[in-house]
Amino acid sequence: MEEKIIKLTGRIDSNNAAEVENSIMAELGDNKDVAVVLNASALEYISSAGLRVILRIKKNFSDIRITDVNSEVYEILDMTGFTEMMTVEKAYRVVSVEGCEEIGRGANGTIYRIDRDNVVKVYNNADALADIQHEREVARLALILGIPTAISYDVVRVGESYGSVFELLNARSFAKILSQEPERIDWCVDEYVKMLKKIHGTEVPAGKLPDMKETALSWAKFVKEYLPEEAGEKLVSLVEAVPHDDHMIHGDYHTKNLELQNDEVLLIDMDTLAVGHPIFELASMFNAFIGFSELDHEQIKHFQGFDFETAEKFWHKTLSQYLETTNERKIKEVEDKARIIGYTRLIRRSIRRKGLESEKGRAEIAFWKEKLIELLGNNDTLLFCANELELEAVTENLDEAQAFVDEHLEKADCPMKAKMQIGVAVEEIFVNIANYAYRPEKGKAKVRVEVSGDPVCVTITFVDHGVPYDPLAKEDPDVTLSADEREIGGLGIFMTKSLMDDVTYEYKDGQNILTLKKEI
Amino acid sequence: MNYPLKIDLHMHSNVSDGTDTPEEILENVKAAGIGAFALTDHYAAKGCAAIRKILKEGDPVFINGAEFSCRDEMGKYHILGYGFDPDSAPVAGLIGYGHSIRMKKVRARIERLKEEYGFSFPDADVEDLMSAENPGKPHIANLMVKYGYADSISGAMKEYLNKIRVASERIRPETAIDAILKSGGIPVLAHPFYGSGDELIVGEEMEERLERLVGFGLRGVEAFYSGFTDKLCRSMLLLAERFDLYVTAGSDYHGTNKMVALGDTGPERTEDPAGLTRFLNDVRK
Repeated sequence: MEEKIIKLTGRIDSNNAAEVENSIMAELGDNKDVAVVLNASALEYISSAGLRVILRIKKNFSDIRITDVNSEVYEILDMTGFTEMMTVEKAYRVVSVEGCEEIGRGANGTIYRIDRDNVVKVYNNADALADIQHEREVARLALILGIPTAISYDVVRVGESYGSVFELLNARSFAKILSQEPERIDWCVDEYVKMLKKIHGTEVPAGKLPDMKETALSWAKFVKEYLPEEAGEKLVSLVEAVPHDDHMIHGDYHTKNLELQNDEVLLIDMDTLAVGHPIFELASMFNAFIGFSELDHEQIKHFQGFDFETAEKFWHKTLSQYLETTNERKIKEVEDKARIIGYTRLIRRSIRRKGLESEKGRAEIAFWKEKLIELLGNNDTLLFCANELELEAVTENLDEAQAFVDEHLEKADCPMKAKMQIGVAVEEIFVNIANYAYRPEKGKAKVRVEVSGDPVCVTITFVDHGVPYDPLAKEDPDVTLSADEREIGGLGIFMTKSLMDDVTYEYKDGQNILTLKKEI
Repeated sequence: MNYPLKIDLHMHSNVSDGTDTPEEILENVKAAGIGAFALTDHYAAKGCAAIRKILKEGDPVFINGAEFSCRDEMGKYHILGYGFDPDSAPVAGLIGYGHSIRMKKVRARIERLKEEYGFSFPDADVEDLMSAENPGKPHIANLMVKYGYADSISGAMKEYLNKIRVASERIRPETAIDAILKSGGIPVLAHPFYGSGDELIVGEEMEERLERLVGFGLRGVEAFYSGFTDKLCRSMLLLAERFDLYVTAGSDYHGTNKMVALGDTGPERTEDPAGLTRFLNDVRK
């Protein structure tokens, strides 16, 4: 549609409203099929008589917007509901970032401190208004949902591009804290994980944020073409199998995007906000701390300001605390799943940046590809349960299984006596599986710990793929006989049954599932 | 009556500053498909009598009306009166009083033009002017153009008439409200957010204003108005509910003197608010 730009000047009030209206109508003519742009850069004031003029133009020309509106006029248009009726674009303040401290740089823009209390995020692309609008909207949504974040209060022009201005009083990023005071690493991990859990615990109303799974699926489909057929297909099917999740993920959760302002921890750089399974978040965190710098350890210094060793330590502690376990096997299991998505993203990114055309690019792509293919061979799902441990069913792993269960019982403030009783039962069952389930071969066993309800009830589930065997089918042993005379194995199950409140067995989908329940 | 009925309860004829005669008003109201209307000339009810006289069976529902500009220490207001008996003393007195103030102002303006700029007009012209139904600044401007003191009416207004401030007596809102009520009418605040027409009164200021006027006996607000946005209309409807007020809808049509179409009462009414239905039931037709 043809656009007609009309300049509004000075004051429009009852003294000149009729004149202004006549001249605008004359200028617009009879063709109602034009988009009217009222440029208000020189409009100083508009009274209700002027508002009525705009209303009447709107009645004749439905496609109308007002641009370059100063803040006084904007306030009037906002108060009277004109901003709801038509597009009203503010005039932008011009800000220079020359000589300003650069405090952050991300994919979409660079953040500068313009004075003690304010920072401006300058977007890389010239037509950034839509991006700014998006980031503002999602930041506002996050704030409503309870995530502490800074919301831009103004949009400004910076050179040829736009910037959004945030108030950030004396804030320091976690990257800076880690670089300057490495001894505060545990405190940083605590706060960092607390925020991460808050984000992942936040349910987002449907349709408000993009679905991270869709994005990850597009990466997987892209990278599939560069992988051996089997690996490629597995990659896509792994991502496809991740269920939809309505919880929030930040999408770029690294230590430069967490700020400490006075005593408050604030999340910034919200434009990547999405919904999805936490594995996608962990993947981008893996890349931020490890992936990007795995080949060239110097990278992390440019990016975060601390060294690779600190990054590794921080990442490992974070993962341990996030999963609430010190079990290295568990941590590695989840890290490996994160690496699958992480490497996929890195490979795609490098290829799209013409990585295949340079020696260095080809080398890094080959490096990530090799790791990715290996990981795809060892993983059948991207899902993980923090309260579930899968391990080789051998007696050597009993201590690990028990420690894993203990960790969860301790978190639930389980009384000592119940803990010991559960320990005995776990030992009986685990050793049973180790000894009989796969004999003479070896196989895996899963241990899952669930704590729920009031009164608190602990449920421990053992799963193996061994020969179908229902230990409960056996008659209780005759405890009046001496140990030598009793049947082997029966006593363990008997003890387990008497120590637990409930023991059930089920054979389903080729799995033995034994469940122990105890109120604590 | 079927709702939402197309209604327009705020319009001016040439009895005050509109351009249509009362007869033309009725014709135009019918042509616009309006089912209920009120003529609301400034401090005048002669047009209402004229319309009453020619009203036939099957014509749109007609309500007597008038618009009274008022003023006190807190600001300016336009109070609409509806369904009053034009012959009853309180409203007739109010209209007469308003007219006399207007006449005094016209005289004062003519005096000042003479004092300050040396403009003078023949007595016959001045007399003609004073005997007109509703003389005002535009009529003086006309004379100024006629005798070559200005090139155009708008020039005369801008350069001279709008610069002259003449002191005049004020009619207070409580005076107008009281007279309307005593003549069996319903007093309603015209274009509330726009004050006396070209102001913007919102938020607490609007609430305080309403509270004060309701204290004087105000019974309704013109929540639907040709110059209102949806937002303004919605917030006035909320205030009407809060103060338990009638709701009216008006265009402020002035014929060709103002670019408002007859029947344009602003935001669309899909369903009539209770206050409007009550008004149409309660007002004397």
